[in-house]
Amino acid sequence: MTSESTSASAPALRGAVSGDWLALSRSAARSFHSVPTVEERRELLVVEAAGSPYAIAVERVREIVRLAAITRIPRTPAWLAGVVALRGEIVEVVDLRRRIGLPQAAVTRSSRIVVIHGDEAGIAGILVDAVRGVLRIPEQDVLPTDGRDFRAVVEMVRTPDGFVGVLDLERVLGAGDEDGR
Amino acid sequence: MAAPRNRKPGRKPEATPGGRRAASGKDGREFVAEAEEILELMCTDLCLLHEQRHGEREIDPDLVHRLFRSAHTLKGLAGLFGLDALRHLAHRLEDVLDALRLGRIDGRSPVVGLLDEGVSTMLALVSGFEGEDATRDAVVARAENFLAELERALAEPTGASPDGLAAVALDPSIVRALTEYEEHRLRENVGRGRPIVLVDATFELTSFEEGLAEISGAVRESGEIISTLPSAAAAGDGKICFSLLVATDLEPSLLARRLDRANGSLSIVHPGRPARATRPADPAQSPAEPAGAHASAGGGFDASSSGAATGPGAEDRRIESLRSISGSVRVDIAKLDLLMNLVGEMASQRTALTGIVMQLSADPRTARIGTELAKIHKLLDRRLKALQAGVLDVRMVPLRQVFEKLSRVVRRLRIDLEKDAQLEFTGGDTELDKLIVEQLVDPLVHVVRNAFDHALESPEARAVAGKPSIGRIRVAAFQRGNHVVIEVEDDGRGMDVESIHRKAIERGIVSADEALSERDVLGLVFEAGLSTRDEVSQTSGRGVGMDVVRSNLAALGGLVEVHSRKGLGTTITITLPITLAIIQALIVRVAGERYAIPLSSVKETLRLEDHRVLRSEARELISLRGTPLLLRRLADEFEIADAGAAERGFVVVLGMGEQRLGLVVDALDGQQDVVIKPIQGPVRQIRGIAGATELGDRIATLVIDVSALVAESSRRREAA
Repeated sequence: MTSESTSASAPALRGAVSGDWLALSRSAARSFHSVPTVEERRELLVVEAAGSPYAIAVERVREIVRLAAITRIPRTPAWLAGVVALRGEIVEVVDLRRRIGLPQAAVTRSSRIVVIHGDEAGIAGILVDAVRGVLRIPEQDVLPTDGRDFRAVVEMVRTPDGFVGVLDLERVLGAGDEDGR
Repeated sequence: MAAPRNRKPGRKPEATPGGRRAASGKDGREFVAEAEEILELMCTDLCLLHEQRHGEREIDPDLVHRLFRSAHTLKGLAGLFGLDALRHLAHRLEDVLDALRLGRIDGRSPVVGLLDEGVSTMLALVSGFEGEDATRDAVVARAENFLAELERALAEPTGASPDGLAAVALDPSIVRALTEYEEHRLRENVGRGRPIVLVDATFELTSFEEGLAEISGAVRESGEIISTLPSAAAAGDGKICFSLLVATDLEPSLLARRLDRANGSLSIVHPGRPARATRPADPAQSPAEPAGAHASAGGGFDASSSGAATGPGAEDRRIESLRSISGSVRVDIAKLDLLMNLVGEMASQRTALTGIVMQLSADPRTARIGTELAKIHKLLDRRLKALQAGVLDVRMVPLRQVFEKLSRVVRRLRIDLEKDAQLEFTGGDTELDKLIVEQLVDPLVHVVRNAFDHALESPEARAVAGKPSIGRIRVAAFQRGNHVVIEVEDDGRGMDVESIHRKAIERGIVSADEALSERDVLGLVFEAGLSTRDEVSQTSGRGVGMDVVRSNLAALGGLVEVHSRKGLGTTITITLPITLAIIQALIVRVAGERYAIPLSSVKETLRLEDHRVLRSEARELISLRGTPLLLRRLADEFEIADAGAAERGFVVVLGMGEQRLGLVVDALDGQQDVVIKPIQGPVRQIRGIAGATELGDRIATLVIDVSALVAESSRRREAA
């Protein structure tokens, strides 16, 4: 059933993420936003794969769920971890590590599935090692990359801790076979 | 039958404020949708009407009445949208149908034959509604031509039937209250010699609809309600009295017993022919006697025209007919889907509940609560099944609607290709899920069009082959278990296996050194890029099509097969599940993973160790009651694990259409009701997987696409 889950990302995020830190950071971000600022800002969800941070545009995130048992689908590329049942919906989950050319890792307690609003109103999941938090970045700190250098990273954002790659969700979730085998 | 039609003729689209014409947008689309729906119903009804006309059977008055109402509704709809051509046409057809139902024209009149053309002209008008001006003008011109033709036909005199109401002992006030139509029906029935009775019944004002419906239903089992009139008789506080004027095939006393109601009374106003004298009841003769046997005569009973009591009633005041208008609702299929999903989810939650009940019952400390819960659970289960069946039933529609579309296609092909063919339908009553029916139309039209265009030879060629000059296409539908089978059979030239094979090799679909059976080769017509005809015709034959037919049907969990004998004809057999929504599934286990297999495709299950596994080429097979059954190991198929040649496990015998396949799995996990959900995400189409389901434990379980596996198996040509 989609009725309860199609709402905007904010409430779903708050409910779904373990701990309240994400909600806190979001509300902090929001109050920060109420201070009049001139420049555009980007809200990004930062996730972790193989020790490195990656950023996902928050408006594309429907919810974050703890890892349930993933059912492998035969005859599919290795980067497709399988499917999970999400309140009646059956959603494919892409293994971010495999998709960006890294070896598969064991699932841990911090592993999460980030559920993304895909194209054509469908949804899809991305398996990540952990969710770190939400970043608000002024637009001038977003730098383009040469598309040929990365599999799925299209932009870099400058943060106090260094650079974070922004994922091109169309590439991560695209059916293209640029998998990490 | 009544529920799935879901139509509500009284409903009209809202006119746009100010303008009469909503040329596009939602209103326009709604108009087109509604008008098409009405026209489809009219087509179906017309087919029935023609059957009755040609079968020398009595024409069902309800049928004519429904046609009349459809034309009437359409007229109103066209008026709302300012479509004058359509309105005129509907208006004239309404006149014809009115004359027919009032007996002013005879059912055998050639005018009735023109109704078909009228309806298809209206269809053209409706489909031209959103089209370009030029095409619209052409269609309007066609409509005008047709109208002129209709007027000419109407101008020819027709014999009106004589009437005879003098013998009917009816209160003049009642006769006056009858509409012209009702009077006609009364006359018809008197002429046929049916007893006419007046049933007076009193109902509570609050619940009279139910009571009336109950009586009406009882009467209609063996007769006709000519009119339902609110009675003038004082009925007392909170009560209401009705008089039903009834023509019955039953002995009036029998009817009285059947209508056994304390608050009703029955009086005979006309004894009817079989009961002319005080004749002893002869059960062998009276009730079941076909009314049509008397239909011809006007004699016996007074056939002199009375003319005195022509009711002025211009308005159709039959309560029954008002009820039928409000009694059906048009429902968006998406809403039904929603209901279906809910029911499906309840079904899987029920499964979870079963587990809890068993746990509670097993523990001595909670056994009592467990038993209580088990009772409730059982009740809930029963209700849920009923609900499921009810929702499914609402979605079921008869295939007749599709058949009617097919005959329209063929009518058009006759003109376009200047070729004739006889089209026969059987099994129009076979019901299928509305969703499947909708998806079925295109593939089926394609198959029939192929048969018409490709398979049937020219009259000259047929004469040479010693066949009747006009080809025949037979479309037959029937139910087989949980499937519906649709056969499209032609008596045309048949398929040339060698030429198909040659072409397939040319196009690189198969390699020349592969040994293929005749059936394998015929199966190749469903491969993309293989059209067996050398030239490309306008109607069909670009080599796109049969592959689309197969994939469209596979998406519905269906299968298409072809049988053909050169020179004698071709049969395309389509096998479809009755519904997509909730299915029973067999849960199997392979290398620790669970899979669901639709039970409708499972013929039986066997233990592998009970059979000797034989090998032929690279295939494994067992002997099943003397016939070879090819095996496939699901683990290999899905590359889950190296299955090797394990001698243990189970064989699930799958059957789709006429093909069989033994699927080897590790274990069987029982049966469950499952709702197949589409898989969302980047990959989507996965060969061999029909979707997935949640089995009560919140883990996705893949549902195997049996038709894909079976089809793959029969075409499997491994390099080894």
